[in-house]
Amino acid sequence: MNPKFSLYFAWYYGFRVIGRGPSYVIASITTPLTLLFLVYVLSNGTLVQYAVVGGFVTLVASNGLTSASDAAFLRLQAKIQDLFIATSISSIDYMIGLTLSFLLFTVPGLALYSVLAILYHLFSPVRVLIMIGVLVMLTLSTSAISFIIAGAIKHIRNVWGITGILSIIMTILPPTFYPYTFLPKDILYVLAISPATPAAIILQGTFGLSPEFYTMIFVLIGETVVYLSLAKYFTRWREK
Amino acid sequence: MIQINNVRKRYSDGTEALKGINANIGKRITSVIGRNGAGKTTLMRILSTQLEPSSGEVIIDGLDVMKDTLEVRKKVCSIPQEATPIGILTPLEHVTLYLLARKFQYRDARREAMNALDSLGILEYKDKPSDTLSGGTKRKIFVAMAIASNADTVFLDEPTTGLDPVSRMEVWSSIRKLQSNLIVTTHYMEEAEELSQEVFMVEGGLVIEKGEVKDLLSRFRGKVRAESHTPLDGAIRISNTFVKYIDEDDASEYIRMGCTVKKVTLDDVFILRGVSIES
Repeated sequence: MNPKFSLYFAWYYGFRVIGRGPSYVIASITTPLTLLFLVYVLSNGTLVQYAVVGGFVTLVASNGLTSASDAAFLRLQAKIQDLFIATSISSIDYMIGLTLSFLLFTVPGLALYSVLAILYHLFSPVRVLIMIGVLVMLTLSTSAISFIIAGAIKHIRNVWGITGILSIIMTILPPTFYPYTFLPKDILYVLAISPATPAAIILQGTFGLSPEFYTMIFVLIGETVVYLSLAKYFTRWREK
Repeated sequence: MIQINNVRKRYSDGTEALKGINANIGKRITSVIGRNGAGKTTLMRILSTQLEPSSGEVIIDGLDVMKDTLEVRKKVCSIPQEATPIGILTPLEHVTLYLLARKFQYRDARREAMNALDSLGILEYKDKPSDTLSGGTKRKIFVAMAIASNADTVFLDEPTTGLDPVSRMEVWSSIRKLQSNLIVTTHYMEEAEELSQEVFMVEGGLVIEKGEVKDLLSRFRGKVRAESHTPLDGAIRISNTFVKYIDEDDASEYIRMGCTVKKVTLDDVFILRGVSIES
């Protein structure tokens, strides 16, 4: 393991990139803010707290998923992944570095949503701690999905479309911007293929917006482990 | 020393890229030459632990690339063909990050990166985003990584493809500064002649010729190449060109006949093997 490399990679590929071209940050907060506005207008403000909590989930999940584009670009187009293979780092160091750099893109958006959460009196120390735990698992699981996609893709052009579709299906369809109780349980379990679903359900319960649904804690932990294991298996470090 | 024993590679789509490569590479600078699609990049990727061979064995300084992968990776540096810098990062950041991946301390990485960029004459661009740099300078960023890497063996896959003649000469000059053992793939014969002590010619996934450049050219001693667009007795036809190897003393006669007469190069070793010149 070379955690120092992962941190420097995040510094260069995340922080420096934000400083020189903030479009990533703006792009990442555009969708959740737009949906927050729509929910506010359509529900006359009654569901806005759901959209604030869901905004955290969407921001982290969509960033994790769209990192597939960069992972595929660095592997197929720039050949940067090949460059790093013949060094002392492992595929895990590389994955963590890329994941952390994308996590940095979400920091300004998370700060903005935190301000909204404070304004709506949603935060308490315990709730914040639980939320951090949920968002860490969401980051790991969605990044793992993105590495599985990036490793499977053979032509760079395909990745833009796939991540666009997945980002919508896996972050907008789940109950991120509306109460999960609107959906039958069977549908919830189907939607739980996206880690954003258990994450949103756990947070709605934690923030007192909907009843607690404890099964989803195990679903999120299980998914994180499974997706990470699959990513480690499928990430093509030495190609076959 | 690199020993390549009967290395084969068949991709999942059925393409047989390598059909049993055998070679012992021991010179300081060795070129692997061949046309596009000959199998050069596949071979380089196997040697530098980026790709698994279907069968066969590669030993680098006593280490098996499949069994001792982590040890091999510490000793080699591999610059992929068509590697492109991340546009928004600077040359200094690229080389520093690469050295951090090789477990350099941050200060050492930065210092070595600066030295390497300086030795390549691109220190003045160290803080400019890479997407503002010329193709030659971008390529030199990767050569700088190789120079700074301190690796025992450096693999450079087509380091000058797509560069203008001046940039190519600059990169050659930089490559000569490397202290490591160097394996370079190229399809430019003059590059192989200029740089290397030993040449492996690859075609159709096999090594078709190997040896020192002077030995490969020795069979043409006293000969020059005459080219014509009209048929010549005993000439080899390559597309619409007829090529014949003649004594130097007969050159003026062939020039009077309208032929172009050229010095013999490694191209001609290829031609004699029935392989057309890279256009």
